[in-house]
Amino acid sequence: MPAIKTERLAREFAGGITAVDGIDLEVAAGEIYGFLGPNGAGKTTTVRMLTTLLLPTGGSATVAGHDVASEAPAVRRKIGVALQEAALDPLMTGRELIQLQATLHGLPRARGRELGDALLQRVGLTLAADRRVGTYSGGMRRRLDLAAALVPSPEVLFLDEPTTGLDPVSRGAIWEEVEKLNSEGTTVFLTTQYLEEADQLADRVGIISAGRLVAEGTPAALKAEVGRPHLELSLADGEVDGEQCESILSRFGRPLPPRDGLHLVELERGASEVGAVVRALDEAGLAVESLDLVEPTLDDVFVAKTGQHLEGADEQADGESPP
Amino acid sequence: MRANVETVRALVRRAMNEITRVPGAAIPGVLAPTIFFLGLTAVFGNLTLLPGFDSESYQSFLVPVSMMQGAAFTGAATGVNLARDIEAGWFDRLLSSPAPRPVLLAGLVLSASLRSLIPATFLLIVALAVGAHWPGLLGLIVAYAVTMMMAVVAATWGTSLALKFRTQSAAPLMQVGMLLLVLTTTAYAPLDLLSGWLQEVARVNPVTQVVEAARQGFVGDVTWADTWPGLLALAGLAAVFTFFALRGMRRMTIN
Amino acid sequence: MIERLVANARVVAALGARSVKQTARRPQLAAPLVIFPTALLAIQTGGAGRAVDLPEFPPVESFLAFMLAGAMVQSVMLAGNSGGIALALDIEMGFTDRLFAAPISRFGVVLGRLAGTAALGAMIALWFVAIGLIFGVEFEEGVAGVLWIVVLVSASSLAFGGIGAAIALKSGKASVVQGLFPLVFVILFLSTAFFPANLMLEPAASVAEYNPLSFIVEGIREPIVAEFQLADQLEAVAAILGIGLFGIALSWVALRARARTGG
Repeated sequence: MPAIKTERLAREFAGGITAVDGIDLEVAAGEIYGFLGPNGAGKTTTVRMLTTLLLPTGGSATVAGHDVASEAPAVRRKIGVALQEAALDPLMTGRELIQLQATLHGLPRARGRELGDALLQRVGLTLAADRRVGTYSGGMRRRLDLAAALVPSPEVLFLDEPTTGLDPVSRGAIWEEVEKLNSEGTTVFLTTQYLEEADQLADRVGIISAGRLVAEGTPAALKAEVGRPHLELSLADGEVDGEQCESILSRFGRPLPPRDGLHLVELERGASEVGAVVRALDEAGLAVESLDLVEPTLDDVFVAKTGQHLEGADEQADGESPP
Repeated sequence: MRANVETVRALVRRAMNEITRVPGAAIPGVLAPTIFFLGLTAVFGNLTLLPGFDSESYQSFLVPVSMMQGAAFTGAATGVNLARDIEAGWFDRLLSSPAPRPVLLAGLVLSASLRSLIPATFLLIVALAVGAHWPGLLGLIVAYAVTMMMAVVAATWGTSLALKFRTQSAAPLMQVGMLLLVLTTTAYAPLDLLSGWLQEVARVNPVTQVVEAARQGFVGDVTWADTWPGLLALAGLAAVFTFFALRGMRRMTIN
Repeated sequence: MIERLVANARVVAALGARSVKQTARRPQLAAPLVIFPTALLAIQTGGAGRAVDLPEFPPVESFLAFMLAGAMVQSVMLAGNSGGIALALDIEMGFTDRLFAAPISRFGVVLGRLAGTAALGAMIALWFVAIGLIFGVEFEEGVAGVLWIVVLVSASSLAFGGIGAAIALKSGKASVVQGLFPLVFVILFLSTAFFPANLMLEPAASVAEYNPLSFIVEGIREPIVAEFQLADQLEAVAAILGIGLFGIALSWVALRARARTGG
């Protein structure tokens, strides 16, 4: 039984705005599913529908085996939710928040206390547990939000942009925690606008643009669809050995036009060929000065599917920005 | 069931944080009804000279009105806080949990009844100091009970508005709405001495019964006959606003 | 020196005209300032209206005729308070910095804004005059009286606006100005806005006799319920001027302090 399954899930708002336009997706139990897309693509709206905060206006969805529209309370018992706005009360302490979440889930107070200690330790907030949330840093708030989401030992964990606005260290800490949770069996549905995050964490990625799912698959498969990695190398004695280098490289794939003194070749059989290329050049007595393996990115996938970039869209040459 | 009670307790405790953890936040709400009481009695105090005014102490006559006013503001504040919580995303945390909606509502509004005790008590102390009649123990209990229930009514009103408009700028509507409800009663004078349209409105306004019920001990004896209409009015208003509040909560998932 | 004064005056006039136009174009902004006092007027007239039957009550046709002036003054005081809040918010958000960085007198900027508040005062006066006429109030001094009322109320609005602006400039925080909202009512209660002084309870009655606000209220009330008395009108004008000058002085000092500290 899939952890999450949607069928033509759609959401229209007053004024004819279609935020989500018929999404079919399936997340297997124990998977980390990354929902990737630019701002305004419909990620948050989708999450709100899956977490029963918003009713779909079209299609259907089941989470942990229950329909989000007709069996909402059952869904709520099995999910943990950490939304984009870390929904915290600045006047409460971290421990009190965990306690409140436990109470909301109908857990007795003693259990709430136990959970408080355990979860706060897990996310590294034991020392700050009795300080007011208003004094927490952004990274601490996210961690607390994550701890609160774990209170019901959820089958499915929903994380809406969990690391937006965090520094790299905090981001890494969250990633580590998500992976640990997943290894314990929790299904994770995470939305993000950072392709690195989707790339690193997700088992499978769904790319959403303007309310539609434009691509779905493992990061590797998606990238392979778009193109193969290419090698960029420069020789120590570029002028002398240039031609010979090109002919060797052409054995491994399609050579691309050289650029800035760099030789480029698309690796027919992927990144694993790097070693072989280096050995071949070495055997021919050609000294390699620098070597770069450039993989297609999920951004390339996005561009291929939508014609626009995922990140840094305002830097596009034609000056267009995403909706 | 036990879980629901715990949820209500936890939400009430959270609401009290506003007072216990933010120094001075409660002060305006506590002072306002008393300031108005002193001002209104100083200005209109001699209305008691009118024939037909069955009380010679305007202070005694007005105290219950000011208590209701305090309850109205306390309840409205609950609505404003909810609007703020909705804007900040905190309310999502409550809505995405398995706690039943009526339990959430109870947790939100019951805190108002506790918070209303503070301005009411402060007011009473000041009022007694400037010469209001001691209402007697029964009169005091009735006045307090009515105040607490009025605060809950005002809180459900404020909550309905917060859920409908989902923005703190609806605050004036929450405050003024309740205030007008309290003032279009026998607030300033007995029914017979009210003029024109106000007399008609006060006659049908259920809050008039509430004011009269709270007023009993201050101007005379406490009787069941004068108490039950007020309680009924409170129950009715609470029921109506609760209906709208619950509907508002359901509507949050629709758009 | 004279040139600079003239230049400043032109700028103030331009800003003032703009401020007045803005206010006139968006009457709905005046609504909250007027609706509450109007509702209160209706309620208090209905609730305490029989007071005119009391023997010591001054001779008036109706309690409404008596209270109209108080409602007008309440409205413009609230307008001054809310104008102050708006200015404080602008300061908090840094909008005023843009204006202050321009090569015009900072004081002129503030004065220009206040012109809008004066226009608001005129609208408030006309609103309550209309209410009075609709509900049967006869203005003893007729059209001349109404015009004079509009003048007095606009001037009061300017004066209270100045106080509001001064507090906003001094504190730079909307919450401080907001906190003075109850003070408006306290001052009104301690005046003859809602009831004649001779019928109020002590010690409020004594305070009301000397409260400058009472002079202003009486000045506005007179043309409605009686004939012009020069002495009363002079008292009203003096009170308005006094408050106005106080507000201006406070604003001036606050502006200079702000300029010095770069706030």
